[in-house]
Amino acid sequence: MLVVETLLPGPASGTKVFHHSCFVMNTRFSMVLVEMDTERAEALAIAAERDLRAHERMMSRFDAEGPVSDLNRCAAEKAIQPPEGLWEVLSLCRDYSKRTRGAFDITLWPLNCLWREHLGRGEEPTGKAIKEARRQTGFKRLHFDEAAHTVRFQREGMSIDLGGFGKGYALERLAGSLRAHGVERAFLSFGESSITVLGSHPHGPAWPVGITNMFHPSETVHTFHLHNASLSSSGTAPFNHLGGPRAFGEIIDPHNGRPIEGYRTMSVASPSGIEAEVLSTALLVTPERDRAALVSGFSTISAVEIVYHSNAGMFVPRIAWKYGL
Amino acid sequence: MDCDSSFSSSLDGSGHAHRREFLKRLAIVAGSSTLLAELPWWSPLRAAPVGDSPADRVRIGIIGVGTRGNLHISHLLRTPGVEIAALCDDYEPHLQAGLARVKGAKGFADYRQMLDMPGLDGVLIASPLYLHARMCLDAFSAGKHVFCEKSLAYTIEECQAIANAHRGSKKVFQIGHQRMFSPVFLRALELVRNGEIGQITQIRAYWHRNGNWRNAVPDPSLEHRLNWRLYRAYSCGLMTELASHHMQVANWFLGTHPVSCAGYGSINYWKDGREVYDNVNVVYRYADNTHVVYDSLISNRFYGLEIQIMGPKGTIEAEAGRLYAENPPPAPGIVQLINGIEHGFFDTVPIGGPSWVPDLKQDTKGHYLVHDKPTDDGTAISLAAFANAIRLGEPIPGMMEQACRAGVCVLMGQASMEQQKEIAWPEEFKE
Repeated sequence: MLVVETLLPGPASGTKVFHHSCFVMNTRFSMVLVEMDTERAEALAIAAERDLRAHERMMSRFDAEGPVSDLNRCAAEKAIQPPEGLWEVLSLCRDYSKRTRGAFDITLWPLNCLWREHLGRGEEPTGKAIKEARRQTGFKRLHFDEAAHTVRFQREGMSIDLGGFGKGYALERLAGSLRAHGVERAFLSFGESSITVLGSHPHGPAWPVGITNMFHPSETVHTFHLHNASLSSSGTAPFNHLGGPRAFGEIIDPHNGRPIEGYRTMSVASPSGIEAEVLSTALLVTPERDRAALVSGFSTISAVEIVYHSNAGMFVPRIAWKYGL
Repeated sequence: MDCDSSFSSSLDGSGHAHRREFLKRLAIVAGSSTLLAELPWWSPLRAAPVGDSPADRVRIGIIGVGTRGNLHISHLLRTPGVEIAALCDDYEPHLQAGLARVKGAKGFADYRQMLDMPGLDGVLIASPLYLHARMCLDAFSAGKHVFCEKSLAYTIEECQAIANAHRGSKKVFQIGHQRMFSPVFLRALELVRNGEIGQITQIRAYWHRNGNWRNAVPDPSLEHRLNWRLYRAYSCGLMTELASHHMQVANWFLGTHPVSCAGYGSINYWKDGREVYDNVNVVYRYADNTHVVYDSLISNRFYGLEIQIMGPKGTIEAEAGRLYAENPPPAPGIVQLINGIEHGFFDTVPIGGPSWVPDLKQDTKGHYLVHDKPTDDGTAISLAAFANAIRLGEPIPGMMEQACRAGVCVLMGQASMEQQKEIAWPEEFKE
């Protein structure tokens, strides 16, 4: 934990800032609290980290002893009763799948594996292989028993992945806890792709968050002004976080079983962290003509899609679609 | 954080030529290190690489050819310019096994006869603790250079006697605390001095094993002789045989010795007739109010061995060779946000770009201190330093001080546990 005293030369405003970062849910979580007694801020940070780790244990598919692994290992054989928290998460995911007309989908892991494996070898999977993998995906093949609170896979090989949901869910829960503890201003970030703010920036009416050009990070393409809101970004990039090449964009379009093409990002701001998270992926895989209908069922959101076009060897960003702005 | 190091050379590969080449590179490193003021014992390594002429050859005799003595044989056989001229052990099977490994070495059952052997430059003492002082003093009297295994001696008075005798002899003395020559520990010291973890506020060290710590004894009459570590007349058990290593490191990193200590020890598991504790817990207090917390036991090995050097900015686990930042650095956008708030600016927080699909989990496992972890724990380099010092005819600076501080520390800990009271550093002790 760190109380940042001076990072820049020059006179300080006197605004006390508390910052805590930790590695959790496969990314770096940062929490910025302002105008707060250090001891209180530290206690909140410790509690926040503890809660995030509990969420991680509940939702990670990489914990071999965790409930998601139990489900992925056994739910094709028999109905599994997950812990109550995971049941709630899976039920929410099912609702969001319906509300996004299948664009949000936590069952795409078999397709993810198929594409990762083939593109890693420099080839595309065959149409037949894609078709077979698609038979192992889809919410319609997840059977929920409402009375028994059990889940069952209808096919062998099915596997769920909460990677596109967990951070938004955890942020929404954390924001609720902080509010319950009387916190009025906070900036919470999961690897910068999922952000939730409480209140406004201490020196302005909102928290301004700029989506930068991924090829020129010093250039901001669009700025969101967040106030008691969340912002989530999904997309594809030609490189990983270390700047190395990526073979695979990792976002599968459930409509055709193929990874989305080109370099694109979808950023969605919403009063709900979960909705921002769900919609950033769902809108990215939804054709432009269907997007307005999709978002009409949600609370007040704003969204920006940035598409990178190749122009004389350079990638140039363009706002290809926006909503609520 | 830059964790590359000039000390990151590996000592893997066992060939003589490889070792010679390694020592040549080491001489360059030793000559250029900015830490040399804190590593005076590295100075012999700056000597010109040894040649093959007989004049360059150093003739060494080893006293005690048990487990540790045999390890030294392995290293010395590969150390350029060293001849193992004699071996001594009063346990005949060990002596014969040693002689079978070292062609041409002369065998002795009595170390005093070995000290009389003409042409012997130095001795390496790897005998039971209670014999260290007697053998060191006799070796200095005989005009020999001395490498003594840790811990320095059985009593504080004996530690003092060795220090006094060495001061008068002008001979090379070296103690078997190999971490003083470990590239990983040197890198750890460099990071500490560069402020990477901030002020050292606590050191916690432990050495945990799970076993009875016994050697097989062919005849009950040999029990005390072969299992000397278990009996109080010959050893202080875990404190002298294990703790002395980490107490040497603690004193080295803190740059001084403790002012007092208090601890508890007992035999709570291996109730088999042994006389030394099978679990020990000692806290050492230093003048600046830093504490070193040490524990050791031989009934659980889950945590293994480690020395954790802690400060407000990070923790170094030197045995694992890792540095853990206390607080992972925030992303650049977050740093900008914090700066802005503190300085009254209302700025946009830039996000997105390649860092927005991060996978930084590996950072939770810390940063490697050196990327090319050496297979040697410092023992091979320390023996090369010993041989070089003999060749140069110059005592190794700072070595006796390190030996005394660690040696006295562990005896203080033992006394505290046995007397059940706080024990102060002996102010009259002259390092």
